[in-house]
Order: sequence, then structure tokens, then C-alpha cells
Amino acid sequence: MTATRPQKRYYRQRAHSNPMADHTFQYPVKPEKMDWSQHYPQFFKPLAESCNHDDRKDLQDEKRPSPVVEFADIGCGYGGLLVELSPLFPDRLMLGLEIRVKVSDYVKDRIRSLREAHPGQYQNIACIRSNAMKYLPNFFKKAQGLVYTITDVKEVHEWMVKHFTEHPLYERVPREELADDIIINRLGTCTEEGKKVQRNGGQNFLAVFRRVEDQEQMSSP
Amino acid sequence: MALLGIHKELLVWSSGSKFIAINTEENSEGGKSFVFDCNTASKKSQENDDNKGGDGGTEEKGSDKILAFTFSSSGQYFSLTDDNKRLILFRTKPIWECLSIRYVVRRCTALTITQSEDQILVADKSGDVYSFSVVEPQRPAELKLGHLSMLLGVTLSHDDKYVITADRDEKIRVSILKSPYNIESFCLGHTEFVSAVVVIPDHPKQLLSGSGDGTLRLWEYKSGRELQCWDLRELNDPEQKDNEKKFAVSRIACSLKGGHVAVLCDSFPAVHLFQIDTETQRLEFKETVRLAHCSWDVAFDESAGLWVLQQSEVSTATLYKLREGHWQCAIEDPKLKTTVNILCNHWDMFQVSLDAESRYHNLYKSVFDNMAAYLLKKEERIQQQGKRMKRQLPESSGAKSI
Repeated sequence: MTATRPQKRYYRQRAHSNPMADHTFQYPVKPEKMDWSQHYPQFFKPLAESCNHDDRKDLQDEKRPSPVVEFADIGCGYGGLLVELSPLFPDRLMLGLEIRVKVSDYVKDRIRSLREAHPGQYQNIACIRSNAMKYLPNFFKKAQGLVYTITDVKEVHEWMVKHFTEHPLYERVPREELADDIIINRLGTCTEEGKKVQRNGGQNFLAVFRRVEDQEQMSSP
Repeated sequence: MALLGIHKELLVWSSGSKFIAINTEENSEGGKSFVFDCNTASKKSQENDDNKGGDGGTEEKGSDKILAFTFSSSGQYFSLTDDNKRLILFRTKPIWECLSIRYVVRRCTALTITQSEDQILVADKSGDVYSFSVVEPQRPAELKLGHLSMLLGVTLSHDDKYVITADRDEKIRVSILKSPYNIESFCLGHTEFVSAVVVIPDHPKQLLSGSGDGTLRLWEYKSGRELQCWDLRELNDPEQKDNEKKFAVSRIACSLKGGHVAVLCDSFPAVHLFQIDTETQRLEFKETVRLAHCSWDVAFDESAGLWVLQQSEVSTATLYKLREGHWQCAIEDPKLKTTVNILCNHWDMFQVSLDAESRYHNLYKSVFDNMAAYLLKKEERIQQQGKRMKRQLPESSGAKSI
């Protein structure tokens, strides 16, 4: 059965969902127990399966380290950013986290239909319905990296900048250092919200942060 | 709610809004006791608006019920938190003296004092940990760290380097006390709320945790690695007569000497005894002691005697000692006799905690699968559309919508 492209009008849900309420979410007990094969079937064998293949490709694959999800879109909405970035980084896995029932289902259907329409492509993106605030540590181990934030609401931007800057473990990456960054140019244009802002002639506020060492820990014995 | 805490010769028994501290030393003027009732503590003035924090919930009127207490490492300090959001600090030597009464923003579930005895860390229902100074007893609190779920336990590593917090979302978080925003690791494995966390004496790198999932787990907390897991359901109900019954760990007590561990499950009249094997460093199950009555709490004294606070007027306090490899009731023990004599005059304070609702019952989350309901509707919609398409087919151009 072919997957037809999902129509947004069947998946509309209001923008706000209370993250403090107890919804029912599926999440692994810990990152090591996460079965990524259902989300990235071309990258992962199912967890339980024992690897006893004679197929040459499989033997070669075993030498390569297990792939990890490197990009996380927290609050991925209708998946615009994931779909845009997928072909730019075909070997890097990306995960969208979305708390809303209908919207996360839309993204899953969209990815399914894209994979079918373009064989071999869009295998590196997936969407999970979850409360990132509570369950991020269940999916991901500690890692370093960059945080990209974008919003069209100035106060939200100022709030995010304030908190990240005040946080001893983060520092803002200056604009000059981001000149070659492929992601930031697309952030404001490829998402549903971003397109809405463009249509309304609004402005997008961008800020990027990176994890730094704990100064407190470094100074103490 | 009734609790038991021990530091050397001092045994503290609490129930409702009162606690009684009994000094079991023989030459301490005949087993002197100190009684304190939170009812008598000064109330916060009505002008101060507790609700400024705007947590959005309705503020229920609290009682003066004691929710948790702790001794400092030397026993010099004792601190408790009650249902009226008080944090009370006492000095215990040479005599009991109330040093300060401060207020917490939200009701607390657990507290601990640093090894250096400079601060009290309290864990509250909104997920935050606050630090209250011991050295400056009137100093206001400082926010240290926060979880996104109600906290149920807080403990420290022996060197005060790490603060370990346990929440309702099955998580145990290990953070660096001096920079609490810096998370060292998570100990993930429990499948229900984590109700008890303890760093084992003499085993500074290891943590024991108990949960509503009925398990006791041993961790190497710095890396978050789980070392052992005990399913207490197997010990409580070996024939599996009742699969629906849930067991929550209400207390993990550790002895200072001998590596003994006693585990109490909520509403279950038994104590499970374990011991850490000195060679293998593994936790070994020793025996289950069936109790005559349901018990509120257990604690070890410094000679590894296990005291039990029971729901019984006749034997409110009882004591077990390890004799010839088995834990046996030590009815003749002089300290037990002294304690029982004093407690029998205070049965009324324990009576108020009888038949109290289990405080773990509501921690289990009620599950509503909104995803399933949505998918059902979606399936119906697709089928409806399919039927409509079939009816239209002869007139359509045959093009499928992509």
C-alpha cells in the first residue's frame, strides 16, 4: 500500500500543550535500551537480533561504530526543518521531538511518504512524540554540541539569550563564527512557523550557544 | 506519618506533629527524653504571601505533621521539615535547643545535611533543592537545582562532592554540589518513582535506591552504571499470589559497621536484610524478617542493632540483633526496655498515624493513552475516505492524489 502525502488539515492541533501534565509517552528506560531500528531501519538492525550474517555487507558494517542521532529538533512541529536538512547531511541522523499527538503523527506520515517517493532518501530523519523537557536524558547520553535557537518573538529570544548566557556551562557563539554555518540560513525559512513569519513581514531572532567546561570544577582540586 | 532516626545513643521517634528524642546512654540521667511539638512552633505571619511563587495550584491548609528529619554527621544538629512548610534546626548537645525556624516555598519530602555540617539540603514537591545554612541559622534559602518532577529523596556523597536527587519520573540525578547546574550523570533503570536513595557507608562510590517498581538497585553513581537489581516482589510474594499488588520501598537503612542493609516496603510487615560482601563488593540477600505488625520505619544503631517502629501500642519499638547468623528479636535488651517504657506514655502521638493513607499510592501515575484514541479516529477517517474514493472511481480521471 503506497503512502500518500499527508494533508495538514487532518492533523491540525493548537500550538500549546501543557508539558507538566502527565501524558502517556513511550520512552526507553535509558539511552542504551532505545531501539532506533524502528525509526531508522536502514541504519540499525533491531536490538534483539543476533548478528550472524554471512552477507558481506553486514560483516563490513559490523566494523563501523553504531550510528548515533546527532541532531535533535526540540519541538519539530510539522517537520519542516528535518525535511530541509535531511539531504544536506545524508549520513547524520536527525530526530524531531514533538509533544502534540496529531502533529507528531503528521511528521511520521510525511517521512514515510517521502521515503517511499524518494527511495534511499530521508532515511536519516525520524520523529518521536515525547516531552523533551522531561525525557531528553532517557533518549540521549551526555554530549557536547551546539544549541540553535530561533523565534519571532523578541521577548522569547531575550529570555533564551539571558538564561543561556547566565548558565555557566554555555556561551554564545558570535555571529562571525557562524558565517559558514549551513543551518542558520534555513532556520527561519523552512519551518511552518518561519514561513508564517515571512508572510507577515516579521523578524526572526537567532542565537547559537555552545557547551563550555565548568569553570568551578576546573579550579577546584 | 511516623518516622525513626538514630544517631549513636540518640533515638528520635516522630509521629504527626511531635517527635521524641530518647537518649539511651546509661549514665544520661536515666534515659532522658526531649519532646517537641511543631504545633507550638511560631506560625508564619499572615501578611507574608506564600503564594507569590504562583505555582498555579490551590494551597491546601497544611498541618504541623513532620514530613522528614535528619541528623548531621556528628549528631550535633538535627533538622526537620513539616506540612506547614517549616524547616526547623536544632542543636542536640549539650541539651536540645531550637536554633531557627525558617520557611520553605513548597512542602518538602526529604532533607539531608552536608558532612561538613555547613548546610541543609531540602528537596521539595515541585522538584527543587534548596540550601539552608547551618552556620548562619537565620540565613534565607538558596535555590540549588531543579528536576521537572516531584522529588522524593536527596542524599550526598561522603565528601560532599555530589548531591544525588531522586524523583517521581523514575530518575536519579547526580550533580556536583558546588556547581549544581552541572549534571555528572543520571542513574536510569527504575520503571516507577524512586522513593529512596542512600550512599552506602564505607562504600563511597556506591548508591542504593528503592522504587515504586518494587526493586532495590545498587549503582556506581558517578558513571550511572547499574550494578545489581533486586526484585523485592519475589521476596515479598514468592508464590506470586497477587500480581496486581505494588510494592514501594519506603526505607533503605544502612548500618555504619558490618555493611548491613535493611529494606522496608510500604504496608508490608517484613524487613529484608542484605549485606555487602567485603570481598566481592556485591550486595547479598541474607534473610527476610517477618514482623508481627506493619511498621512505619526502621533504623540501625551504631552497634548494628535494627530498631523497628511498629504500629502497635504494646510494642511500638522493637529491636533485632544478628545472633549466630540470624536476625533475632532482642526483647531483653536494656536499651529497648528503656525506650519502650518511655514510649508507652506517648502512645497517643502514634495513634494519630494509624490508618493513615499510604503516601505512595498517589505517586503511581494514572495512564491515559491519548495516542491510541487518536489513531482509532484516524483509521476511521481513512476508511471513510477510502469508501468515498471507491464510489467516485468510475467518474474520476483515475489520477491518484499525491
